[in-house]
Amino acid sequence: MSHSTVPRSGTEADTTEKTPVASGGATGSREKRPSGKVSLRLRFRRDRVLLLMTLPAVLLVLLFNYVPILGNIVAFQDYDPYISDNGIVSMLHSPWVGIENFQRVFEDSAFWDAVQNTLVLFFLQLVLYFPIPIGLALLINSVVRPRVRALSQAILYLPHFFSWVLVIAVFQQLFGGAGILSQLLRQHGYDGLDIMTDPDTFKFLITAQSVWKDAGWGIIVFLAALSSVSPDLYEAAAMDGAGRWRRMWHITLPALRPVIALLLVLRVGDALTVGFEQILLQRDAVGPGAAEVLDTFVWWNGVRNQDFGYAAAAGLIKGVVSLGLVLAANKVAHLMGEQGVYKK
Amino acid sequence: MTPNTAPSAPSAPSRRSFLASTAVAAAAVAGGMPLLAACGGSDSGSGGGTSAGKSAKKLLPAYIATNVVTPDIAAKNGSAVGFTSKLDIAALKTSVPKKLGKGGKVSIMSPFWGSPPKSDNAYYKAMNDLIGVDVEWQNQDGNTYDQKLGAVLASSDIPDVVVIPGWNMGGKIPSAIIGKFADLGPYLSGDAIKQYPNLAAIPTDAWQRSLFGGKLRGLPQPAPYVTGIVPLYRKDIFDKEGYEVPTSADEFMALCKEITNAKAKRWACLDMKWTAFQSFGVLSGSEKPLGWNLVDGKMVYRIETQEYLEALEWTRKLFAAGYVHPDARLGKSAATDPGPKFAAGEFLIYAQNISQWWSRTAEQATQNPDYKIWGMDIFGHDGGSPTLWAEQPAGIFAFVSKKASESVIRDVLAVANVTAAPYGTKEYMLTNYGVEGTHYTVKNGVPTKTDQGNNEVINAYVMVASPTATIAHPDFPEVAKAQVEWQQRMGAFTKKSSFYGMQITEPSRYTNLSNDFEQLEDDIVRGRKKISDMQQAVSDWKSKGGDQLRDWYKKLLDENGPAAS
Repeated sequence: MSHSTVPRSGTEADTTEKTPVASGGATGSREKRPSGKVSLRLRFRRDRVLLLMTLPAVLLVLLFNYVPILGNIVAFQDYDPYISDNGIVSMLHSPWVGIENFQRVFEDSAFWDAVQNTLVLFFLQLVLYFPIPIGLALLINSVVRPRVRALSQAILYLPHFFSWVLVIAVFQQLFGGAGILSQLLRQHGYDGLDIMTDPDTFKFLITAQSVWKDAGWGIIVFLAALSSVSPDLYEAAAMDGAGRWRRMWHITLPALRPVIALLLVLRVGDALTVGFEQILLQRDAVGPGAAEVLDTFVWWNGVRNQDFGYAAAAGLIKGVVSLGLVLAANKVAHLMGEQGVYKK
Repeated sequence: MTPNTAPSAPSAPSRRSFLASTAVAAAAVAGGMPLLAACGGSDSGSGGGTSAGKSAKKLLPAYIATNVVTPDIAAKNGSAVGFTSKLDIAALKTSVPKKLGKGGKVSIMSPFWGSPPKSDNAYYKAMNDLIGVDVEWQNQDGNTYDQKLGAVLASSDIPDVVVIPGWNMGGKIPSAIIGKFADLGPYLSGDAIKQYPNLAAIPTDAWQRSLFGGKLRGLPQPAPYVTGIVPLYRKDIFDKEGYEVPTSADEFMALCKEITNAKAKRWACLDMKWTAFQSFGVLSGSEKPLGWNLVDGKMVYRIETQEYLEALEWTRKLFAAGYVHPDARLGKSAATDPGPKFAAGEFLIYAQNISQWWSRTAEQATQNPDYKIWGMDIFGHDGGSPTLWAEQPAGIFAFVSKKASESVIRDVLAVANVTAAPYGTKEYMLTNYGVEGTHYTVKNGVPTKTDQGNNEVINAYVMVASPTATIAHPDFPEVAKAQVEWQQRMGAFTKKSSFYGMQITEPSRYTNLSNDFEQLEDDIVRGRKKISDMQQAVSDWKSKGGDQLRDWYKKLLDENGPAAS
């Protein structure tokens, strides 16, 4: 977001280029730079080419991310998009209701269910999902033969390209109440298992599906970071008698630290977004009590029930909380000496 | 008339009214014509109301019956008319002698059950040639149509024609219908309809239902008022195993126990919620106004009744006992076509639209000769006669965008005039069976759909407007006969609730009041919520506006009187 307007810091945010020992040096470099004293006009002149190059991206962000924010005013209205042919005209003619929508949201137990489900899912995915790509990247990185490495990478990436509909159909065939696993159990005298429609274990199911589908894809950024580690470091460490584990602890993991911190901050900012399509498709299978998250709550009330003002209010609450989370996480990253998503 | 209706969700039968009609239209006109004074039906729809009454009479099209073929079974008790004779292809009449289309382009968005064919298929081409209009179909999954509809109508660019079933008219959709769609009155009211003779033969009570916000906006699909949802079962397996068709809720439960053998991958049924509602005499859930009824001077809504809770409890027991196929637990969104698993005998009973009685028969006829799907009579829960509630005489409507020019509207009416052609005409055969030789073959007066026919001739054109409710299956006359007779038997138990026959728009402040009940029903029967949660929801509903809505309906009835006696 903001970094695209400040091209100079952009290169520094690109942590993949950094060497493992450089991670602490970023904060110090700012003071040394002369640019701090140069006037805004001069800086514009000096950086105009870079600024021009970022312009298309900025325009897209403005058009598709910032302009729609204006639509949030319907959160303060009893919005009826059908009173005119144009959404903006409808907004002008819809009655204002003040903060009534927000009051309704806070009083709605379904909303709090959705908040709870969202947070539980976020923490589950943080604990069970987030470390897996790191581990996989380390594993892949330790594979020496290029063909084996390419093949295993391809296999790991592949599920990412399946649609959720397909992934869920596959899971249903395997783990559904009439699926392969259940029938196998029944044939051996046990009760069938219906993993797909059990509200109690639904959050683990969702996490497992995400891991299967996207954990492989998630290793790419870690592999890139690993590839930037100079082999000299490993050689020197090996000469000094460091074993496998010591090398991983003292060279590989520190190399990954900035990337991990960055992704963690981004993940926290996205905490309230835990998978829309995946959950929407399975919402009916376990009921909204277990499956409704904030995004599906907004969708259900806005698109399905056409209670647009109400849904917009819930969405706005989510947006504000997410902003707070990203700022907080970034603060923590700074305190830990990492760069986070932007510099102070 | 039965389109090759495609598969619907296993858990929620599409309450798609069977496309049928009443030949006793004259009687229907008299009976279905509410003597209502227009009641506060403001044009914006926010005030709500019903647009019927004296002023409505001027809006309604003239009725001119067509008698192409005399039905083999006349309509009775709200049933369709039935045709069971052989098809004489040479004797087919022409009901549209001259192409009415002016060659324009018309985009139509419509719900679709099944897999839509390619847009340039032979069926669409032949229909477009016959009509003289280039129709471009935007088919959307019928099971989740409500989820698309709101977004499409909220955009500034809607298709020329949008087909909307009554059960998808929740939330603010009625307000969208009034705000976004054209008044067809100038083209159809009174004698103007004579230009479109097949539309003129649509019974008046169906047109009565097409009045939205005081204007004639919809092109209706007339339907029998007998419930469209039939408990369908595998008669061949029942006969082989010696299972008896149940006559009470307890018998049904016992039968399910006998059938279910999960180890052998066989369960008794899918979600039987809709059958339970029928069996326990719960007021109709297909449309909000139908769910209200005047009982001893007091307005009662379906969710407040004891029967409603009992039906849910019974269905919950079916699930809890493990008699329901696990797929039915999945719900709508991840639903797959139950047809293949039914054919494989994984479950033996499911509740679905009556049209599947025929379409599943036709589908399996060649590769599975033993297969026999049949409809069971709805049993009263206590073993006595059931109390069934009438559905509306038209449940699905096609609307034309307000932005459409006159020439587009004329082209749309040209489409409707062909799709509404009665049984016994060339237009009917093309609409429902496709092109002879390509989509079906005729041997000894029996048309049989080819694979191409089964793939291409489904939904689409039949969704625009249809003739008086007709059941005609020359390929399976015994099915057609059984369907009409089932309707007539069930029709004898059918009562009309207070707002039968009316098109009612609730005031917008109440429109979201009942949104979550269907979800709650599904949660309860699947054991995720308790009956007490429903009781709590009902008492919340009352305090949040349900009681005011009750007064509103009471006033509406007091001022207008019931439409049906």
